[in-house]
Amino acid sequence: MPSSDPLPPKESALFRKLLKCYEMKQYKNGLKLAKQILSNPKYAEHGETLAMKGLTLNGLGRREEAYKYVRLGLRRDLRSHVCWHVYGLLQRSDKKYDEAIKCYRNALKWEKDNLQILKDLSLLQIQMRDLEGYKETRHHLFTLRPSQHASWIGFAMSYHLIGDLEMANSILETFSQSQASIETHDYRHSELLLYQNQILVEAGNLQRALEHLKQYESQIVDKLAVQESIGDLYIKLGQPELAVPIFEELIHRNPENTLYYSQYFAAREFTEAADKLTAFKKFEEIYPRAMCPKRLPLDVASGDAFRSALDSYLRRGLRKGVPPLFVNVRVLHRVPEKASIIEQLALQYYENLTRSGHFSREDADANLPVEPASALVWTALFLAQHYDYKRDTEHALEYVNAAIDHTPTLIELFMTKGRIYKHAGDPVEAYMWMDEAQSMDTADRYINSKCAKYMLRANMVKEAEEICSKFTREGVTAMENLNEMQCMWFQTECALAYQRMGRWGDALKKCHEVDRHFSEIIEDQFDFHTYCMRKMTLRAYIGLLRLEDVLRRHPFYFKAAKCAIEVYIRLYDKPLKSEETIEEIDSENLPPSELKKLRSKQRKAKKKAELENAQAAQAQVKREQHQKSKQQANQEADPEAPQLDELIPEKLERPDDPLEKAIEFLKPLQQLAKDRIETHLLAFEIYCRKNKILLMLQSIRRAMAIDATHSSVHACIARLAQALPKLTADQELNESIKIVIDKATKELIGTKSVQQLNEEFVAQKDASIMHLYEGARIMYELEPSKRETAINLITSYDLNKVKLEEATKIYEALRDGVFGDCDAELSLYRAKCQQRFKYARLFKDIVDAPNAVSTEDNHVDEKTKPNAISADVKTADL
Amino acid sequence: MNIRCAKPDDLMSMQHCNLLCLPENYQMKYYFYHGLTWPQLSYVAEDDKGNIVGYVLAKMEEPEPGEESKHGHITSLAVKRSYRRLGLAQKLMNQASQAMVECFDAQYVSLHVRKSNRAALNLYTDSLKFKIIEIEPKYYADGEDAYAMRRDLSEFSKKENSDESALDTKGNTADGEKDKINYRQAISHDHSGHDGHCC
Repeated sequence: MPSSDPLPPKESALFRKLLKCYEMKQYKNGLKLAKQILSNPKYAEHGETLAMKGLTLNGLGRREEAYKYVRLGLRRDLRSHVCWHVYGLLQRSDKKYDEAIKCYRNALKWEKDNLQILKDLSLLQIQMRDLEGYKETRHHLFTLRPSQHASWIGFAMSYHLIGDLEMANSILETFSQSQASIETHDYRHSELLLYQNQILVEAGNLQRALEHLKQYESQIVDKLAVQESIGDLYIKLGQPELAVPIFEELIHRNPENTLYYSQYFAAREFTEAADKLTAFKKFEEIYPRAMCPKRLPLDVASGDAFRSALDSYLRRGLRKGVPPLFVNVRVLHRVPEKASIIEQLALQYYENLTRSGHFSREDADANLPVEPASALVWTALFLAQHYDYKRDTEHALEYVNAAIDHTPTLIELFMTKGRIYKHAGDPVEAYMWMDEAQSMDTADRYINSKCAKYMLRANMVKEAEEICSKFTREGVTAMENLNEMQCMWFQTECALAYQRMGRWGDALKKCHEVDRHFSEIIEDQFDFHTYCMRKMTLRAYIGLLRLEDVLRRHPFYFKAAKCAIEVYIRLYDKPLKSEETIEEIDSENLPPSELKKLRSKQRKAKKKAELENAQAAQAQVKREQHQKSKQQANQEADPEAPQLDELIPEKLERPDDPLEKAIEFLKPLQQLAKDRIETHLLAFEIYCRKNKILLMLQSIRRAMAIDATHSSVHACIARLAQALPKLTADQELNESIKIVIDKATKELIGTKSVQQLNEEFVAQKDASIMHLYEGARIMYELEPSKRETAINLITSYDLNKVKLEEATKIYEALRDGVFGDCDAELSLYRAKCQQRFKYARLFKDIVDAPNAVSTEDNHVDEKTKPNAISADVKTADL
Repeated sequence: MNIRCAKPDDLMSMQHCNLLCLPENYQMKYYFYHGLTWPQLSYVAEDDKGNIVGYVLAKMEEPEPGEESKHGHITSLAVKRSYRRLGLAQKLMNQASQAMVECFDAQYVSLHVRKSNRAALNLYTDSLKFKIIEIEPKYYADGEDAYAMRRDLSEFSKKENSDESALDTKGNTADGEKDKINYRQAISHDHSGHDGHCC
């Protein structure tokens, strides 16, 4: 269809040039051309030219003007598909995909068969996962251009994505039959065949898939994929004997793939451990350098067979000095019998190596040559790691110290010593040993990263950043570079450190940065929609789409989201005062000595703040300069990428509606991390504050589906029961909602009172410490007069059965006033914990050096914490 | 320990491992670019819990002037320090190299390594038979020189059927610059395209 407002030949030629310039990214020339057309008074308001002028301005990064001109152009010529298309492109570059789709649809009203617009529309539809819409557009494109390969592929793929596998397969089948001669070694053709095969397998059409592979085997270059699939299909189709040689060949190709061994056993129909062990022996002889045939038998064997296999496995590793020897047998500790054999053997080695230099007495008696001197050190390290795994800090330290005395140059020893202290609850001592290790090899980033992580666990953000800066780009701060590189481990650890220190705004900033990485990674898909269709790497492309669909399931997102939600809840419960009033502290009731301390502390804090402000201002200037130079550099290259709001901690920690912010982080968890009970417990915390009965119920139900006996579930039910009378009275509830609530409460609570419910709960004979803790909290909340009983319930529990992180939680609850003022009980409990957890910093009577534990509590409503660090054993990685 | 071809799901873990181990880092899009252009070439090593403890990120390069066919290139290779001395780097490299030959008919594989990285240099020259081709001055962002190295891959093509002629494949060299995904702008300027190795 011709333009609704055509230009005369001269101007028309200029307009075509303008389009060309835009395509070539020659924006400045484009503007000149637009000006030439518009300077003719007859066409000063020509819609399509105005719109193109706007789009060109957008290319130059002049976003506001761009919108102005594009909209102006559109108003002048509402029936022009060009104007609508241009408006769509502008919205798309602004990532407003929903809006852009509407624009494209309008454009298609006036020019329904425009290929470019249809292609652009299909990209947005797949990006937004409008799969039905994508299918329609792809069908349309197919009918318009049936001769193009891409039309067929896109058409088939759209059916694959909506789950119509039959249709997808038959499109590809027809397409491949229409293709003339195939060159040998045609990668794209090979990929397409494998894609079609994937569709057959997903459709459960296994026999057909097998035939298909065999038929085209010679045309497929990805031999690995063919063999893996054929082998698997033989097993699934009940012809395992045919799979045996295939997996033998695959093991030959890669003897370190654990799947091949289990497939080989499936093919041989082995179920007995003895058969498998014999097979492993055979493979070990054929592939003497491979690890799998040596390590995998340890999973299968038991009793004496296990002992002898383990014996030779450990000896080899200790003789050679393999640092990951322990981590490679760590999972075996889950079987108590195996754990004890590991310990026996390692102790035996240590004893005999010390005495005679042999691994065993038998070796010594047989006068075998002695082991290398280093074997003793590696054995000591192994034992230290073993005892650390058992949380036996005493023994772990004993062995690691013996090893260090023996070989003070082995970095792994210092890393292990740091890790032992971390698990024992002393993050400061832990970081110091890791720092020692780091100083021994400053060229290795891995140890540098570990050191930074340990510093963050000790709340030393500044120091961590400084350490990291040894490996980040010069010219920008480490924080910025790590953010630019999407270094999420650092950012989540930072967020948690800030959270522990009560620096809510800084914590939120890190959480939002992580969230933005996930948005960006989802955005990254865009270019691959067309790219992969050209490259024909369709299996990988489908893998990408499926990954992106669940991207925020990633543990990094979970960590950041959990932290953000907790902080927002905290900010809802105790909103921060506006920035000006922070400094005022009630100083009237303080004794003179305290006042003096306070004043000096305030002075120091002020000085520090001033210094930090000055630094921040400097950094800001630098950043702006950097930003400017980057913008200049990017001007031609990247007009896209809309500017995001700057994340300012002071603003973030004073949100208008903290609970809504928390819900934004919660939503992806509810969708993608619904199998984690924490998700639903966090949801309950939010909805309970919003007085949303149904959502509270829903959260409890979902939590119970995962673990009905979880200690926090009881607390949720009790809090719901407590809140119900008020909630149901306050609101004018709809009848049907009332029925739902009544039914649910009957199921959850029955006819008992909250008190009864709670009493029964704490009286359970197998109640764990965390159950008692939740019960005690509820008890105190219901009847403050029962405070002593409640506290006694938890503090009298046998500490030998309590883990460090549990004791930490209880101690912090007592300290932070969950049970009111209880200084006496607190110091008593602390003394007991000190005995039980000798190394845990939280319970020690030490005053930390100011830089170790940050006391930068510029929030006066924070409780003064003698030890702000909490043992974080749960998340500690071994 | 398990060594297998990397899937799209692994790419984020590879980035994480890279950030822990090496100074040359890339944004996710660059990993996607590798994984979606040459899905057969990158390999990972994972521990018993499924954590990625080492990886090789690899690609193909267009023929150099005067050469007949494409060659492979190692963009990045890393093994966590705590998993050293198992020979993982060597095993990862061999798997990637075989795939380069099989899927893309590579004649040789190239890489860059820091002059100061003795450990990596030893691995490449002693265990993997790489040869130094030239020194590239100031290749790395911090000003350090790189050795450009190559390994001939004919030992891997011998394993293939002899009736498959390697020269028949020049049909699909149509993908020029326009086929490249526009990832560079997304990468920190200094490290883009600069390879990292650590093993």
